[in-house]
Amino acid sequence: MIERLKDLWAHRELLWNMTVKELKVKYKRSVLGFAWSFMTPLVMLLVFSIVFSILARGGDVQWYAVFLMSGLLPWLFFVNSLMQSVGSIVANPGLVKKVYFPREILPIAAVGANIFHFVLQMLVFFVFMLLIRWHFSPWLLLMPFILILQVVLTLGLALLVSAANVYLRDVQHFVEVALTALFWLSPIVYPVGLVASQFPKFMPLYLVNPMTNIVLLWEYAIYNPHHYGPQVAYISFWGILITVVFSIVTLVGGYYVFARIERGFAEQI
Amino acid sequence: MEHAVEVREVSKMFKLYHENVRSLKEKVLFFRKRGYEEFWALRDIDLDVEKGETLGIIGANGSGKSTLLKCMTRIIYPTSGKIMTDGSIAALLELGAGFQPDLTGRENVYLNASILGFSRKEVDGKFDEIVAFAELERFIDNYVRNYSSGMYIRLGFAVAISVDPEILIVDEVLAVGDEAFQRKCLDKIDEFRDSGKTIIFVTHNVDVTREICDRVIMLEEGRIVRDGIPKEVVNHYHQVMETEEEASEQGNRKIEITEVRLLNDRGEETNDFYTGSSMKVRVCYEAREPIVDPVFGFSLDDYRGFTAFGTNTALKGLEMGTVAGDGVVEFDLKSLPMLEGRYLVSVAAHSRDEQTVYHWQDKLYQFEMKSDIDDVGLLYIPCEVKTGPQAG
Repeated sequence: MIERLKDLWAHRELLWNMTVKELKVKYKRSVLGFAWSFMTPLVMLLVFSIVFSILARGGDVQWYAVFLMSGLLPWLFFVNSLMQSVGSIVANPGLVKKVYFPREILPIAAVGANIFHFVLQMLVFFVFMLLIRWHFSPWLLLMPFILILQVVLTLGLALLVSAANVYLRDVQHFVEVALTALFWLSPIVYPVGLVASQFPKFMPLYLVNPMTNIVLLWEYAIYNPHHYGPQVAYISFWGILITVVFSIVTLVGGYYVFARIERGFAEQI
Repeated sequence: MEHAVEVREVSKMFKLYHENVRSLKEKVLFFRKRGYEEFWALRDIDLDVEKGETLGIIGANGSGKSTLLKCMTRIIYPTSGKIMTDGSIAALLELGAGFQPDLTGRENVYLNASILGFSRKEVDGKFDEIVAFAELERFIDNYVRNYSSGMYIRLGFAVAISVDPEILIVDEVLAVGDEAFQRKCLDKIDEFRDSGKTIIFVTHNVDVTREICDRVIMLEEGRIVRDGIPKEVVNHYHQVMETEEEASEQGNRKIEITEVRLLNDRGEETNDFYTGSSMKVRVCYEAREPIVDPVFGFSLDDYRGFTAFGTNTALKGLEMGTVAGDGVVEFDLKSLPMLEGRYLVSVAAHSRDEQTVYHWQDKLYQFEMKSDIDDVGLLYIPCEVKTGPQAG
């Protein structure tokens, strides 16, 4: 394991180059280029704003747009990272079969490129919040910690699913379905208070999902529920602890599994 | 480590599945039913590659050459055994592996170099050299998707060769590009060799190995069957390839050639003969019915199909009369003039007008010429050399 990390470190420049490549290639032949990375969140913002204002007849959440974005942007980062990394190894047979390099670079680069998109989207989001003179809470300072937590979880899952997908192509379809379900099981479109008041019995189960806790943390830090709407806030100590432990275990376990089956990649794809 | 590469008892087995079952449903349905055959691409390979050595690996398709290289470069891993390497490795298993069509030549140079394990700094200093070698000065800022296949290959090779590994592993990549560029690549590899780098080289163009390798190994069904100086191994390779293709038998078998023996000076059966020694070709036959005036003959061909010598009973003015039952014809070659190499023996029995072939064994037997003589060529011609001042 130490050897692998050393090897990965020795290839850090390749990791960087592959990440940059992901970013460059993605929008290379499109007219709008990078602007596309803002399209998905903007369209979702528009659609959910309309749908939610009809369903909740407005008023329930102040500044719904800010609330939605504070959970949606991290969520999209999570989804895009996994969707791109799950196929990252099977999509590069030319490299995997012909060149030696630490194979984990492929899924890690996919996550890395999405970190970049995420940070960029966040910056635009914060410019918008500054324009509307948002009342920021001091919890904002937690953001680097939340980002690291989410990256740890995402990397672990990315390594796991990308490796598993080499042996069983069902994995990529499974990931897609699972992510769609998890999206509605996380308090992104609706405030967590809705679940707490309507289905109080399910709350412990609801909080088992690590992405729920991470989304709640982002909302807590960015949306400032104490000022704008307490129904958005639900931070449980146990939820966070479970999430931290789960994320670390996922990363270590995911990397372990990856390292174990990585030797067969060139023969399997 | 003493050697650049040490291969110890390496075997590699591939599972050849009868059907490529990959989805969960199929995996469950065919659980444990999924049959496969074991295919041993490498068996018990032991090999030391010296530092600074240029090693060629040859062998027929499927003999395990590429598998061995892939094991050395850690792309795949042996089923058993161990491979140790000492020094940085650049592997050219495919030129331009990882080229991105939607990036420019310049961007791809940096990306490809880092895939091969080299840093931006290292490439910076050599960028102009790479572009000049690839002859792509005018196109380096164009997208690679617009490159011709020749340009693509040239750039791939230029990047790979410009990086400065201690061990260079090359698989069959010189088969591409025009002749001038191939020449340039070989020169570059020569340069590499002269600077004391270790080179391991797989190719089908075995004559190239003769030109640039210090040592050649030949693989057959995953085993090393020959290991030595290029000339000998390449000769052996040609012979094996030729024999496999050409040995054949035909005829109506009214006379059947039952046995052919190659005998040396002492009358012992052998496959090794020495320049200047004698050889007897003893042909035993059985005539199934009485045959009037048959002709028996033989010929010696080298692996290129060049007939070194041939004769028959008719050419020697012999009348066999009517033959029936078992018999023997012996050709006594007093002195073999050939230098080193492998020769194929064909034996035939036919009618005098050559219209009817009774039995013709074409290139079915072989023997090896050995020699202590240092002179070169096909044949040994006794030669004395005199030196002195020019007359007049």
